[in-house]
Amino acid sequence: MRSRAVGYFRPGASWLHARNPLTKLLGLLWVLLAAFLLPPWALIGLAVGLVSAAWSAGLLGDLVRSLRIPALLFASILVVNAFFYPGAGERLIPIGPVGLSWDGIWFGVVSAGRIVVVFLAAVLFLFSTLPDDLLEGLVARGVNHRLAFVILSAVQLVPRLQTRAAAILDAQQARGLTVTGSLRTRVRAIVPLVGPIVLGSLIDVRERTFALEARAFGALPRRTAYRTVADPPTDRWLRAGLLFAIVAVFVLAFSGVLPR
Amino acid sequence: MTDAALAIEGLSVRYIGRREPALQDVSLEVAPGEIVGVAGRTGAGKSTLALVGGGFIPRVVRAKVDGRVHIGHVDALAATLPELAGKVGIVFSSPALQLSSSKPTVREELAFGLENLAVPRAEMDARIDSVLARLGIGHLAEREPLALSGGEQQRVAIASILVMGTSLLVLDEPTAQLDPAGTADVAALLGELAADGRAVLVAEHAAEVLRMAGECLVLDAGRVVGVGPPGVALGSSIAGRAGLRPPTLVTLAEAAGLPPAAAFDEERIAAALRRGRPTAPPEPTTTDLSVPTVRRAPVEPIEVRDVVHRYANGVEALRGVSLTVAPGEAVAIVGQNGSGKTTMVKHINGLLRPAAGRVSIGGADIAGRSVDAIAGQVGFVFQNPDDQLFHGRVDAEVGFGPRNLRLPADQVAALVEAALSLAGLVAERQTNPYDLGFSTRKLVALASVLAMEPPILVLDEPTTGQDGPGVERVGSIVDSWQAAGRTVIAITHDMEFAARHFGRVVVMRDGQLVLDGPPGEVFASDQTSLLASTGLVPPPAARIAARLRPFAAPADAAALLRLLAAG
Amino acid sequence: MESLQWLWTQCVYDAEGNATNAPCTDNLFLTYAYLAAMVVGAVILFIAARRSRDMSTAVLALMPVAIAINIAVGAIVAALKLPIYLDSIGTVLVGVLAGPWAGALTGLLTNLIWALLPIPGGAGPIIAFFAPVAAVIGLMAGFWASRGVFQLRTDEGRVGSFLALATGVAAAGLAFVALQLTIGLPDLATEEGGTLFVTEALVIVAIGFVVAWLAARTIFALRDGDPRIRTYLSVATGLATAVLAFALLRLVFGEGGWLASLDGSAESGLPGTDLSGLAWADPLDLYLQLAIAAVLGLAAWYWASRGTNARLFPVWIGGLTTGLVAAAMSAPISAGVFGGVTGSGQDLLVSLYRTLGLNVFQSAFAQGLTSDPLDKTISYTVVFLILAALPITVRTMFSHGESTVAET
Repeated sequence: MRSRAVGYFRPGASWLHARNPLTKLLGLLWVLLAAFLLPPWALIGLAVGLVSAAWSAGLLGDLVRSLRIPALLFASILVVNAFFYPGAGERLIPIGPVGLSWDGIWFGVVSAGRIVVVFLAAVLFLFSTLPDDLLEGLVARGVNHRLAFVILSAVQLVPRLQTRAAAILDAQQARGLTVTGSLRTRVRAIVPLVGPIVLGSLIDVRERTFALEARAFGALPRRTAYRTVADPPTDRWLRAGLLFAIVAVFVLAFSGVLPR
Repeated sequence: MTDAALAIEGLSVRYIGRREPALQDVSLEVAPGEIVGVAGRTGAGKSTLALVGGGFIPRVVRAKVDGRVHIGHVDALAATLPELAGKVGIVFSSPALQLSSSKPTVREELAFGLENLAVPRAEMDARIDSVLARLGIGHLAEREPLALSGGEQQRVAIASILVMGTSLLVLDEPTAQLDPAGTADVAALLGELAADGRAVLVAEHAAEVLRMAGECLVLDAGRVVGVGPPGVALGSSIAGRAGLRPPTLVTLAEAAGLPPAAAFDEERIAAALRRGRPTAPPEPTTTDLSVPTVRRAPVEPIEVRDVVHRYANGVEALRGVSLTVAPGEAVAIVGQNGSGKTTMVKHINGLLRPAAGRVSIGGADIAGRSVDAIAGQVGFVFQNPDDQLFHGRVDAEVGFGPRNLRLPADQVAALVEAALSLAGLVAERQTNPYDLGFSTRKLVALASVLAMEPPILVLDEPTTGQDGPGVERVGSIVDSWQAAGRTVIAITHDMEFAARHFGRVVVMRDGQLVLDGPPGEVFASDQTSLLASTGLVPPPAARIAARLRPFAAPADAAALLRLLAAG
Repeated sequence: MESLQWLWTQCVYDAEGNATNAPCTDNLFLTYAYLAAMVVGAVILFIAARRSRDMSTAVLALMPVAIAINIAVGAIVAALKLPIYLDSIGTVLVGVLAGPWAGALTGLLTNLIWALLPIPGGAGPIIAFFAPVAAVIGLMAGFWASRGVFQLRTDEGRVGSFLALATGVAAAGLAFVALQLTIGLPDLATEEGGTLFVTEALVIVAIGFVVAWLAARTIFALRDGDPRIRTYLSVATGLATAVLAFALLRLVFGEGGWLASLDGSAESGLPGTDLSGLAWADPLDLYLQLAIAAVLGLAAWYWASRGTNARLFPVWIGGLTTGLVAAAMSAPISAGVFGGVTGSGQDLLVSLYRTLGLNVFQSAFAQGLTSDPLDKTISYTVVFLILAALPITVRTMFSHGESTVAET
């Protein structure tokens, strides 16, 4: 088992890491649907469940730290809706035509809450799943392996391109390009910085294509797989259960039995 | 039908949209166990020939093709990918571009080709392990391919092709971006592969690789101007007439009157030179490099004092380096990859800032100045031209630097003209830089910095990826710059280039300066073991001279012959 | 659908601020809108995935590079602290070189991969909700490329159809303004108000189509080589610039605009922030705004009449329409999923629109309308420049590349 971190992935040996990626994907889908279709109080239950799952998998610390990524988004949802909620009834602190209101706060809390829950589930999924395993699992289910290649290749290329972008920034500054200062200066810096990245990368496509063809990419309709992804019976039962749970969410949502 | 792995007959290729044909009436055969080399200047058609040999023209690259090409028994001009898969493998010069960039470890990277060939899973590990052992990269098996060094990546690229079991291997300038150790590695590997029974076609500039071939073709403007063993094909009679400068050892061997088989044998060359009277070599018919003179300008000294540089992970790249460059000096900085050459040089124009120590130009510390502010004083040419080029025309690109300096339009135009002539690009002024080959693009990037007329010129690997005439051109630019009293600092892997054009050579190892002096001293025989500890060897002429005259280190063949003639 | 009431919290309130049982029409619309967006995204994904079987290796080698360009360029632009995204350049490029479905796939996968990578400043994995928008951008880019947007010269007759399209949009805009000044917009909270709004919208769109069709048949039925084409193009560029500049000025500085809305409230609780002095009272300053817009329009006309600059008009039409569609699609997603907010500097715009009285969806849409068309127009222009600098060796690798990219 490799020990390096890729993207969000945190190496580990928990029960969550051991689950088949497709099972976890289905679980994520269930959380997504539940967060948006069930009444707002269900969000609390979902959040508690996710946090306990994280704790039992040893990922709680990482989970909490990851919340700083969308922190600005959450704050924004809360603040903008709390203060700028249109058509609200009573204003707590009026400021001109807008102002703080209970309706706004409630709307903001519910919206942010849904996003938080989905975010937690997604991040937990990514912490415990290697993209390579996820895609291998999907390919085994019929996804075109050439598409899987595109995704994995893009994931590896992004940091390389960012390194290249830094090199280009250096190289152009060494030719006298100024990148700080007035808006006009910064706008004029766009083309000398973006141009080489894009053109250079496009030129490279030629050689990349040759390299792929040299490795017989796409030569045969079916390919064999080196990487194997385990799919024990536990996972199959779990997936059946999750499918049932998804149907249950729809039924509960549209039958109107749940209190608001 | 012969048993040749690759048989090409009467091949002519013309790319769509070009008027001139890239290849005309080329024929060659590569049998199993044979290495055939292809030499020629940039643009002579070597890459086109390699692409044909790999089965990419006209299948992937649109071109008009005449003639016959057979890979094994397959007609390569009409074949589809499934028919060619597993029969021919091709390796290019950019190591990173050949990786699939979709696999997390080297082992899986090797498995990629096997997956595409639908090889059963159970067979994969055995094949991968054997190739890993073959290329000596077993210790890299669990590493991330994109995190490896250039030389390691190139080995992984070759391994990924070999594991597919192809019997024909085509290589297009595989050592263009490698350091001397990497080049020697690839040369030795090709020898082993041929000994194993594979057929190898390799297009190259590097003599160390071409010498491994049993037979070499020399191309000029798409035509074959000569075929023969490397000692003959690369010599003055064939390569010399095609505008290629023969390698130093070959020149010396010819001068000593040795047969072609001994053209690269240093011992025999030295012995023959010791015995007889060497004849002067004929001058190669190189293109006229009429380089205009450069204006003189006031130049400041550079002082690097006790500079320490640390990477983000705490590793020290430079450990207290001190270097003073007087105005008008030409300094070559050499050392293995990872010795800190580029790191040190990047402190001079402010791209990197020292963790300790001081960098000053003209006595003033540069710590407060931004990179673009220093750009007018220190011109830095990067190794990869594609990090800088973005205009649709060469002359527009060359004008970018002067325009950033806010110079008036007519002055910019004059500077562009001067830079274009210096770099020999006047004929290409309207061409899109990306339509030119890599080595010409390097000259465009160089010209764009020359146009700023910096008093201090810094070049990062200016000769890597260049053909013979390109290296000559860069050398003459260095000479002109120095003749104008300006400072030139260059990082290079080419020891002969360093010895010929620079009055001072600085050797680095592990973030420290190890040797510092004129090339005549640094490359002399008493320093050979110290040099070797840094992973370098002296230029060929100096190596031969070490056997004949102790403490002498001539830069090239002509200098050595003059030395011997003087008695 | 009474039982779905609790799906959203914004409903209709009575005078005392209590929630009533009146159907939340705009919220129903909102929910259906973003569910529809998700469905569209899934359908595009499915079709594009099937088509990917026929895509050449060159295209499959191009796509990861394009995706990486999207992400890397987006990050650079953010580092330069400019108020645009520029995260669709690769998508548009693939749409041009390899066709609409490859472009759509590039956009989709960019979003999904962005979700996979912890890029600071983004929203994390939830950015994947906007994948359908990215897919549609790729589709439209491929569509416009096949219409020749990136390769039209200033003497080609096909330009006429773009001019006609622009005229149609202008006519629809005029009709909308006329409607607002005379009958006024209906109250969307009532049922008959909703139906009336839909009818009015259809009428406006119909007017636009008819005008465009007529224009294409008459004034803009041009043939290659007609010297009037360049004139029309430069005039159109000037007019469009003037109109857009005027609209922006009115929005910010006008009598009913943002700055004006911050004044006049008796309980202004924030001392020292009275910005109403910057608002301009009509009618004198209306003329001032008209004058400024006219000057900008003239400058744009002058620029467009020089050299081959006028070639950019079709490019900008392509970019503007793509931006409009992107805004229309991302508004329901933003409003329904994120509560109308994106977590970026654009939220200031959202606040602005809320103060003007727009609801969650409307303000999200308005924010999109302000930033997306500009961003996409700039992206299309950047792609145009890139294509101009693209060497032959790359262009000939893609079958679409030769028909969509101009000969240099």
